[in-house]
Amino acid sequence: MIEEELSSIASGLSAKISKAKKSYILEVSPDKVKDACEKVSQLNGYYHLSTITGTDTGESISVMYHFWRGKVFITVKTDVPKSRPHIPTISSVLPSSLLYEAEVKDLLGVTFDGNPLMGTRLLLPDIYPEDAPPPLTKEADPEKIRKMMELE
Amino acid sequence: MGAGLIEYSPENLVPFGPVHPSLKEPEYFRLVLEGEKIVEVHPRIGYVHRGIERAAQDRTWVKNIYLFERICGICSFAHSLAYTEGTESLTEFQIPARARYLRLIIAELERIHSHLLWLGLVGYWTGFDTLFMWIWKDREHILDLLEGITGNRVHKSFSTLGGVRRDLTPGLISTLQEETKFVTKRAKYYEELVHSEETLISRTRGVGKLTKEIAEKLCPVGPLLRCSGIERDVRKEDPYAAYDAIPPEVKTSKAGDVESLLSIRLEEVIDSCRMVSEALQHLPEGPVRIPFPRIIPRGDAFFHVEAPRGELFYFIRSNGSAKPERVKIRTPTLANLLTAAELLKGRVLADVPVVLTGIDPCFGCMDRITIVNVDKSKKWSVSGEELRVYGIEYYKRKAGKN
Repeated sequence: MIEEELSSIASGLSAKISKAKKSYILEVSPDKVKDACEKVSQLNGYYHLSTITGTDTGESISVMYHFWRGKVFITVKTDVPKSRPHIPTISSVLPSSLLYEAEVKDLLGVTFDGNPLMGTRLLLPDIYPEDAPPPLTKEADPEKIRKMMELE
Repeated sequence: MGAGLIEYSPENLVPFGPVHPSLKEPEYFRLVLEGEKIVEVHPRIGYVHRGIERAAQDRTWVKNIYLFERICGICSFAHSLAYTEGTESLTEFQIPARARYLRLIIAELERIHSHLLWLGLVGYWTGFDTLFMWIWKDREHILDLLEGITGNRVHKSFSTLGGVRRDLTPGLISTLQEETKFVTKRAKYYEELVHSEETLISRTRGVGKLTKEIAEKLCPVGPLLRCSGIERDVRKEDPYAAYDAIPPEVKTSKAGDVESLLSIRLEEVIDSCRMVSEALQHLPEGPVRIPFPRIIPRGDAFFHVEAPRGELFYFIRSNGSAKPERVKIRTPTLANLLTAAELLKGRVLADVPVVLTGIDPCFGCMDRITIVNVDKSKKWSVSGEELRVYGIEYYKRKAGKN
């Protein structure tokens, strides 16, 4: 049932579907994230956005939106290139994503265009240097950043 | 100016907190006021951001259990449970049934102590100190049990990869049975009390009303979500540990205010006592732990548990080595923060402590609040204690007038 609905969403957005142990994964391009999340959240009972996870995969930052109902998650996944880390916000359609997006921006440097919290920091301390790589990226070296912050 | 509010000019603002030795999760709320009424709320968090997700990448799978346990002092077991069960789901190993039951028992005891702690704090914030002392005394019974079973009151280090680290002795089983009966009796008494005691009713009834529409929009979790009438509980919907054998009765309410949060949490305490008692009656025989590999197969685990405050989410990625590649954690308070900010809009300043406590944050939240008055463009910085006294005085004055 859910598989059919997901594949109809996927075909409309030229997305790929795969299945992990506890989650369906819908892979879309960054410009289609908003549409994909909106459609998934309208599926029966899948309005609950558990969180947004960002991971550094080397060349790009992979951003995952986890929607929960019952025993299975639906994860909308997209890869944002590090050369231009911008992605449209989904907070205009799903306001629950506001803080999660701000967290990914702080820790991995992905800007969610249109999110009102992009101008301020949510988690990072004010002394974290502007020009240092975001702390969860592979480029971030704790020793160097500590020196930049003049903690040593 | 009301009682307790101290005026500072912005250039000599003395910060109390946001990091304070006695508090765990400081948060900073910037409240914009029109007279007494709150018109806007801006949260700023991260004062105790310790980079645990980054630290986890440099530690082995086993060492991380102890790291994640230190995220929260109240629901430490929920963190280690989510992490260990999430990691176990990446392998094909079957965890012994006795270990799964023991995990349920500790998780429920933790829920009881967390809910009682919160209830005591509501007493404190509303000026009902007797309630606070009674409840915290009862909570000691649970903490003693946790210490007896696991060896520790706070960081229990009980759940581990492949099972649990200790077994129950026959003596502990009978003490547990007796104590759950005692706590059930006390919780029933408190349930009667919170709906009959004027002090509590005047501060909680109709305060911070959450509707189903807002809840569906902002996705809060745990008792806060259930008080809006939505029946969602990870233990029931997506069982882990032994919850498939002993499911919870999901408690909901339609009122959505702080009073309904009191009932829901007290009913959950009673239900948790029932679950502990049932788990003890049906406790399977056998080992509590199996040998577990130090290297976890490649894969992604999506896992969540129902911590006392709600859904606690873990994303765990293994690259097939002795250390995780990425662990992402979403704690319940972060999910509830936006809803708390929404509930405060339109309320008076005196309601801030009760509404914010209503979401059961790890109570650091209140100790640094800046108030901006739109009319006069003045700023004040107040501590939680000052705001508590102000709230109590405000409602006393209001009661006097009526």
